[in-house]
Parts: sequence; structure tokens; C-alpha cells
Amino acid sequence: MAVAYSLPSDVSPATVTNTRSLLRIIALALISGAAIASRLFAVINFESIIHEFDPWFNYRATRVLASEGFYEFWNWFDPTAWYPLGRVVGGTIYPGLMATSGVIYNVLHALHLPVDIRNICVLLAPGFSALTAWSTYMFTKEMKDESAGLLAAAFIGIVPGYISRSVAGSYDNEAIAIFLLMFTFFCWIKALKTGSALFGTLAALFYFYMVAAWGGYAFITNMIPLHSLALILMGRYSSRLYVAYSSWYAIGTLASMQVPFVGFQPVRTSEHMAALGVFGLLQIVAFAELVRTHVSSKQFQSLLYASVIGMGILGAGAIIGLTYKGWIAPWTGRFYSLWDTGYAKIHIPIIASVSEHQPTAWPSFFMDLHSLVFLFPAGVVMCFRQLRDEHVFVIIYAVVASYFAGVMVRLMLTLTPVVCVAAAIAFSSLLDTYIEPTEPDVADDSSGKIAETAPAVDAASSGSSTAVSASSSTAKKTKKAPTAPPSVSAVAAAMTPSKKGEKPRGIFGLDTRFIVLLNAVGMLLFFVLHCTWVTSTAYSSPSVVLASQNPDGSQHIIDDFREAYYWLRQNTPENSVVMSWWDYGYQIAGMADRATLVDNNTWNNTHIATVGKAMSSSEEVAYPILRKHDVDYVLIIFGGLLGYSGDDINKFLWMVRIAQGVWPDEIQEPNYFTPKGEYKVDDMASPTMKNSLMYKMSYYRFPELFGTSQAIDRVRGQQIPKAGTTLDYLDEAFTSENWIVRIYQVKKEDILGRDLKSANAFAQGKKRKRTKPPVRRKATV
Amino acid sequence: MRSFWSLLASVVGLATLLVQAKSSSGDSVLVLLDPSLKRDDFSIFFSGLEEKGYDLTFRSPKDEEPVVIKDDYPQFSHVIIFAPETKSFPKDITPQSLVDLLSKDTNLLLALSPKQTPLTSLASEFSLITPPPGTPLVSHFPERDTPATVIPVNVSHTSPILTPGLPPVWFSGVPFALGTNPLLVPILNAPPESFATDSLGDSDADVVIEASEKGGEGLWAGSQLGLVAGFQPAGGARATWVGGVELFSDEFATKEVSSGVKSGNEQFAADIASWTFQESLVLRVDSIDHHRLNETAPREHYTTNDQIVFTTHISRYNPKTSAWEPYSGIQDLQLEFTMLDPHIRTALPPVPGKPGAYSVTFRAPDRHGVFKFVVDHKRRGWTHLHSSTVIPLVPPRHDEYPRFLSAAWPYYTGAISTSIGFIIFSALWLGGSESKKGKGSKVE
Repeated sequence: MAVAYSLPSDVSPATVTNTRSLLRIIALALISGAAIASRLFAVINFESIIHEFDPWFNYRATRVLASEGFYEFWNWFDPTAWYPLGRVVGGTIYPGLMATSGVIYNVLHALHLPVDIRNICVLLAPGFSALTAWSTYMFTKEMKDESAGLLAAAFIGIVPGYISRSVAGSYDNEAIAIFLLMFTFFCWIKALKTGSALFGTLAALFYFYMVAAWGGYAFITNMIPLHSLALILMGRYSSRLYVAYSSWYAIGTLASMQVPFVGFQPVRTSEHMAALGVFGLLQIVAFAELVRTHVSSKQFQSLLYASVIGMGILGAGAIIGLTYKGWIAPWTGRFYSLWDTGYAKIHIPIIASVSEHQPTAWPSFFMDLHSLVFLFPAGVVMCFRQLRDEHVFVIIYAVVASYFAGVMVRLMLTLTPVVCVAAAIAFSSLLDTYIEPTEPDVADDSSGKIAETAPAVDAASSGSSTAVSASSSTAKKTKKAPTAPPSVSAVAAAMTPSKKGEKPRGIFGLDTRFIVLLNAVGMLLFFVLHCTWVTSTAYSSPSVVLASQNPDGSQHIIDDFREAYYWLRQNTPENSVVMSWWDYGYQIAGMADRATLVDNNTWNNTHIATVGKAMSSSEEVAYPILRKHDVDYVLIIFGGLLGYSGDDINKFLWMVRIAQGVWPDEIQEPNYFTPKGEYKVDDMASPTMKNSLMYKMSYYRFPELFGTSQAIDRVRGQQIPKAGTTLDYLDEAFTSENWIVRIYQVKKEDILGRDLKSANAFAQGKKRKRTKPPVRRKATV
Repeated sequence: MRSFWSLLASVVGLATLLVQAKSSSGDSVLVLLDPSLKRDDFSIFFSGLEEKGYDLTFRSPKDEEPVVIKDDYPQFSHVIIFAPETKSFPKDITPQSLVDLLSKDTNLLLALSPKQTPLTSLASEFSLITPPPGTPLVSHFPERDTPATVIPVNVSHTSPILTPGLPPVWFSGVPFALGTNPLLVPILNAPPESFATDSLGDSDADVVIEASEKGGEGLWAGSQLGLVAGFQPAGGARATWVGGVELFSDEFATKEVSSGVKSGNEQFAADIASWTFQESLVLRVDSIDHHRLNETAPREHYTTNDQIVFTTHISRYNPKTSAWEPYSGIQDLQLEFTMLDPHIRTALPPVPGKPGAYSVTFRAPDRHGVFKFVVDHKRRGWTHLHSSTVIPLVPPRHDEYPRFLSAAWPYYTGAISTSIGFIIFSALWLGGSESKKGKGSKVE
């Protein structure tokens, strides 16, 4: 048989196997190192700091857990959040993340390694990304082989779609959830392949961990039943499936109900009904199979099938009936917004107001996945070629996740692993084909065999090293029968149907191989470059600290947020209450340690609407609301001076909309637009807009900053009227260096019982209009 | 012997008390006296204050010293402004600085006059509506030998500020209408037949009526007009507005209202001074105490449905001994347990046998959140009592829920029967397999 290049043949199989596993371990270690290292941009460029919003709460909760123990954490009632409603933290969070950090913290301290809890929290996500790489390797190995597994691990290690949620400091549930997701899927596939109750139980345990860690566990809850259902419908029912699913569902559901936040949801809500229904269906099918093995009558079998279908329909009807009766909670609004992207905007503005709930823009697919975007469909198609049970899983996963990723930006995260897996399958097939040294034998009669959709090489190792591949190919040759047909281009084989009597297919010579491989390796290089660039520029900003470039190119740190939060922490009474829009609730609680009215745990729409109403009403209307909620300080974000576009004026319309949802008579969105329907802040702004508390606080004393020249809001590019705004019910307490954070103190009631507007006028020495005595009887003449 | 010592102690105590001021907030008084008024004309009033122990400092409105506020600190505990003629005060005394004094717990006793002074415009900030300048109060009843502007006024017997049973007092000055401000405390109202006008002659009656028609304000007349009004700003300081400075004069104090009956002016002036200077009707909340029933120590938070005992101690200032004494005389004290709205509003009755203590036991609502114990007692004349204590109300801990529920018996039976069934099944299975094994071994 002709070969394109010769391989050393005097290596013993044992040496080959050992070398391969050593290289695999080294490759995995390097991938882990790369995964961790690429997530450290945030620490190097800025500092070891917790990022964004939600992580601040997780960090705060972890500190409570680390300092007061698990039971105190479980029973933690936070009186400073959602003042004055308070928040039962233990029962309203997924504690998996905090528990993980707590365990790591305690283990390290037991080993006398006094690591600060903050550093554990900051570095947890990079650490778990290494584990994710490993679990993706295991998962992909089940799909194809080790070389594909290593490729998938390398992909997931540095792909921006996953890095965006797991840079150092991004201490969020997703940090550990993706690892758990992949590992649960791996256990499930393993259980399904082997029919092992052990792996089914393992899947259930990791499912439990996942439930404890992330609300996205519902994805697993529906993926596995969907896969099982697909297999049953494809006629692939087996006792392996029965064992795997039953052990996963029974143990997993019981375990998940131990999480206080989940509680009875697995048996009471629609999201979990698919899993229950498939469980019931499996029992029926299993029973039918059992009966079929004992009964031979054909009529009886058809009767049995009819009854199986009938029972299935009956069960579905029962679930619908229970939902109708209210025993099972219907779908939640968040769920509807997954199907109808316009739903949230109309019915639940609070969900629509979150930027990560918006539909994904097309460029962000390329931004997050780069070349994997077009390798991904190829990988999915390749799954069809073999279509083993586990391939069905990847196909379903790919379809479902693609849809969800298109609907919501944040669900890109669940798409990323399957993209990496599928792309790795495709890419490793490509490498296998082109590195394989055998050439097609022109004279060979059995050319028909070549075009067969032969299974891809099952034991090729990492494609990154030709030497390894070469040795692996030899290993394969020694193992397999020498008559095995050479691997053909898998892609070509998949695309063109095989016809007998065609010319033999394959790759001749080294030059063709080099061209394709060079191209492929180049693509990988560009992928690495892109990932590094995106990670360092786009995804590593803590958003608590902003960076800008000085004219000379050096970095300038804008630290207004922390400046303002520390001012609050050090200059206000400990029991003071700070009102702000809910985005900043967790940060205020975490960094300023003050009570907040609303925060990022948006459980109470009315309370948020109250804040929205206070912000969008005039001072006179807002003041009683502020006093009723014991508000001492109001904090707003204003980007007009610096051009920071994520400020409160830009979010203001959401406040108006959310307030309008609760008080449609008092707050009306059209009032905040100019008669032409524009959203303006200059002198064209509508009177309602100009009188709103938010507008007044944002532009209070702003024109003074510009002296005699015209004041310009750099975010909206509009001129601010020179007259400026006046505040009677609030006092400016603090404005940060770049004016990003402005804090106002709410005045106490006037000591003489006047309204604060006239009290202010009096204090400024304005003459009051002479009042008339109360009307009384007229003197009769 | 012991009684002798205690007697001696009390005598010494009394002696020291006599020279001490009676006010609960300090004894330094600044008197801003117009040059047109002679100090000797008010000797009864001022010496009465000095006898009580007040330390009076006199200052003419033209003097720059001593200032009332220095370095943002008030220099006197009380300020009396008898300046009916002064049009321009020194720069440290402005309407704004006087309000500032009130916010810094300095008491004010202010006299108005028919003339337009800066105080007239200040009065409107206190919800007092003054008539146009130059319109003193006039009354032609009862018939008497004094001018029509010097009027005997009957004293209300319901005001807690005044000594009961006072004879009528002489008044001369300007009335004012009272606004709707709840912080106002009317002390002395005008007689029903009196009115405010700028013409004194009887012949001008038609002119007066015409003018009142034109002005659109009606006639400034009747018992709704105030002559002396107290004001209780938030924060505890007190201010008193008097329509005319002559009320305090020796002449009015000694003048007889009817034959043989001396006017009540001396006592009346002393009464309103002692109220204004926070001698009388002064209360304070000494302490707040809360704990669970059958416990004594307060908790950082309570659990929903706890039985909570709330106790507050209230003292009243006794000017006679210059001491705070426990006071159980409030019968309508209330406690509110509030989160946004009061979830519980209950009477807070005095505890019999424990002077000054008011206590109530109540069940906390079945609703977690950050609650406040609020005691809010505002009665005219009396010091406003307000106390607010924040306390979180938390849901039960994980181990505080009832362990066994009778409603859950079906589940218990299910769990127990399954367990028993499993044991029986295992036993049968193991037993059966043993015999099988035995068979197998036999066969082998």
C-alpha cells in the first residue's frame, strides 16, 4: 500500500500507548494553563477585584458563609436588602457557588494556607474553566475520540463565548455551572452508553450540584428528557436508556428538591413536567417491552402499543388538566420571553430592561465563537453520519441551544460548549484525514469500499503534533486489520453519495496535505489570536473600574464607582438607606455596606416600580415616597460629563415604563418625549422630563461646570439649558471625580412644618407673598 | 438622727435648687430690648425670671454684641425679643438666623407690634397671618376707662400651659389669624367683640366696614384671632408669639381688671415664659426596651409570630426640683409596629406600680421584614414624643419549624410502609437466595 510518508515501524505498541497518554496529559495540562492564564487579563490590567453586579452579591454572601458558617448562611435574613421588606437570602439563592468557595476556603485554611476569601472568589472562575476544559474533553471523547476531545478542550478553554462569563473576578453562578453542565452531560452519555446505574447516579449528583449552583439547570432538566424522548421515538429504546434515565431522574429530582430555593418546583411547575412525563413514558414503554418478551401474539402487541399511546396521551392530558386546575404552576414570563421575543417588552418590562436578555446580534456570534461558527454545522452533520445515541444528544443540544442563543444574549453561554464539541469533531476529522499517511491504491479493485462512510479514525491523538498523529496512525494500523480502507476525506464522503465504479478517492502526495493542514493550522492560529484579543479588550473590564487611554497611550483608570461607594461607607451613618436604580443595589450593599431599596435580585416588581416612580416624578411627589421608605441618600449614575453611556438618563425610560406598569394614571411614557417624539434633555425636553427627579439630580449644577460656555452632555450630544435645575427636597452630598456617581441627601421635614420649597425660598431670603387669613363668615352690615 | 441628716440634705438641696435655673434646657437668656422700652417698666417680669434663676443679658438692637450665634453655636439658651419699634436688626439677627436658632434648640419669645418690622414677615413663616400694618386690636366692650386698644381678655381655662383660674389679662397690640399648621398652640385668643382696625373713632365705623369689603379679607374680628400663640418646631425648641409687648409690662401687671381684682398678667407672663423656656409640659423618652415574652434581654431580631414585650420609660421635667421625674400621666400613648404601614397599632398603657413605665405585649405579625417600633405622641403644648427603633423580623430558622405535622401523616405512613416493605422484601430475597444457593451447592 502506498503511503505519503513513511512512519517508523520499530516502535512497540506499549511505547506508543504510553507516549500517547503522556502527551494527552501534557496537552490537557497546557490547555488548563492556557484557560486559566487567558482569564487573568482582568487581574493584570486592573487588580484582583470582583466584577460587575451579581458577583458582588455572591461575594458578600460568600463572606457571610466563610465567617459565620453554613447554618447561619442558610438562615441569613438580610435586613439591608429590599428595605424595608428584607430578603430571606438562604431561601432565595442558589448556594452552590458560595458553598464551593466556602469549602475551598476551609480546606485551604485547614492546610494553614491563609488565603483571603476575595482571592478565592476572584480566581474561582478561571480554576473551574480548567475543569470545564477537562469535562469537555471527556464528553467529546465519548462522541469521537481523544484527539477530538483535546481539540474541544482547547476550544472551550479559550473561546470568548465562555470567557465572557468566567474571567477572573466574574464570580457568578455561570463560573461553575458550565463545568457542571458538561460533566452532567458526560455522565449521562456514559450512563446511556454503558447502561450503568453508577454513572446515572453520578449524573444525578452532578445534576444536584448544578441545581444548587445555577438557575439554568432547567436546561439539563429538559435536555435529558428530550434526548430520551427522541431515542424512544426513533425506536432506540433499550434497557440502558431505562436504567440511565430512571436512576438519573429519581435521584436527581429528590436531590434537587433539597435546595430551598427549588423546593417543590420539580413537581409543581411546568418547566419540570417534561422530565416527569418522560419518566412516566419510560415506565410504560419498559412495561410494554417486558410484556412483549413474554407474549408472542401479534394482535396483543398491537393492542399493547395502542394502550401505551393511549396512556401517554392520558398522562399528558392529566398534566394539562393539573396545570389548568392550578396544581402545576404555568410557564413563567421569563419562559414565554424565550419563545416570543416581544413578549417581555410588553408584559414584563423589568425583564426586557436587562441588556443580557436582548436578542443576540449577529456579529456577536462571530465575536464569541470566531471560526467555530462555521465548523459547528460541519460537526453536527458529521454526527449524522454515525448517529449513535450520543450523537443524537449533540444534535438536539445543538439545535436547541442555537435557538436560545439567538433569542437571548446570555444564553450564548449554553451554546458555546456544544459549538466547541461539534467544531472539534469536524476539525479532528479533517486533521485525521489529512494527516493519515496512507494513499489510495489506484490499482485496487475494492475502490467502492473507499467511498464508504467509514467510521472516523477512532484512535488518533492530538492533531496539533504531526509526530503524535503519525505514531498514532501506526498504532492504529497495527491494531486494525491491514486491509482497512484508508480514511477518506470525511467531509467529501459526507457530501457526496457513494457510487460504485468511481475513481478511488483519497489524498495523494504531501503537497495537498500541506496546503490543507497549513490552512487549518492558520485558522487555529487566528482563532487563538482572536480569542486573546477579544478577551483582553472586551471581556476583561471589571465595569466597577473603567479604563481609558491618555493621549500618550497610557492607561487611565476611572475609579468613580469605588470612590463614591467608599464615600458612602465612611461618611454616612451605618443605618442609612440608599435609594438607587436596581442595577447598583448589589454594589452598594457589597462596597458601601448600606441598606438599599432595590437590587439586582429583581423579585419584587412593585418595589422597583416605586423607585421608578420616585425617580420619574417631580420632587413634590417623590418626597413623600422617599420619606415613607426612610431614604437618606439617593445615588444616581451620570455619564454626561465623561461620555459614559450606561448612565441613568439612558436607563430612565425603563424606570418610566416599569413605574407606568404599576401606576398607569400617574406616570405616562409619552410625557417624557418632546412633542416630536424625541427623547431629549436639552431645552426642548418636555416639562415632565425637566421636572423629574432623575433629570434634576443628573443636571444639578452641571452648567456651572462649563462657566460661560454652553454645557454639553457628551453621552447624548445635547446642550443643557444654562439655567440649570433647582433642588428643594434634596441636597447634593457627593459628586465623584468624573461626575459619574452623584449622591444626594434627602432633607428632613422642615422644622416649622412648611413644605421644603417655601422653606428653601425663605432661607434664600425671598419675600413670601402675604397670605390671607382663612375664609370665614362675612360681616353682616 | 437619720431623719435629721436627710432633712439637712434636703434643705441643702433645696437651697442649691433655688439658685438653679428652672428650665430644662439652660439658664442663659438674651433679652433684645428696644431703646424705647425701659427695662424698669418690665421689672416684675424680668425680676420674676431672675428669681427663678435665669441669667439675663440685655442688649439693644443697635448693639453688635453679644451675638446670638457664634461659630454656628447658639450662645444663649433662650432669646426674648421685645423690639416693637425696630425696623432693622443687627446682622446676626435675621429671620433666617432666628429659625436657625430654633433648629439648634434655642427657645424664642417674640413680641409683635402694629408696626411693620422684620418680625412681622417672620411670623408668616410660623403660619401666623398678620393684619395690614398699623391695625391694632380694638374692642369697645366692656365699658371701661382705658383706651379702646387696651383690652381685658378672658383667659382660656383649658390650656394646660396656663395656671387654672387666672383672672382676665390686659392686652394691647396686634392680633393675628392662625394658619392650619398643626404645630401652632393657641394660648390666648381675642375677645369675640374685638376687631383689628386702623381707626379708633366710633365715627369711622362705616369706613372700616367699607374697607373690609374692599380688601376681600373680611373684617379682622372675633375670637378666632390669636393674641398669644405658642409654636412647637420639630426638634423640641419652643417659640411663643405675643401680639403686644405691653402684656409683660408692670403697668398691666398691677392694673385692676375690675374693682379689687388684680389682672392676671403677672402670672400669665410667667406661665408663658415657663412654657417657652421649656420648664412646663416637658417630657422625654428615657429609654426603649423590648424583649421576647419570658425573656429579659433584647434581641437583634425577632421571629415572626413572637410574643414581644415593648416597654418605654417616660420622664417629665419638674421645674420645682429641676429634675426629671418618671411620669405615668399619659393615658393615650400608642405603639405602632410599622413596615411601610403600621401592621400593629396598640395602646401603650402605663404599668401600674412602675412610675414612668409604659408597656405592652403583642404578637408580631406573620410577615418578615424590617419593622420599626414607633412611639409618636404629639399633643398641643406638651413636648412631642417620637421614638423609632428599627428591628428586623425574620422567618423561623430551619430548625424552628414544627417537626411533625398531623396533616402529613399520609406521607409518614408512605415512608414508613415503604421502609418496612423494603426490609421484608430484602429479608425474603436474602432468605430465598440462601436456600437457592444451598440447592445449587447441593447440585454441585
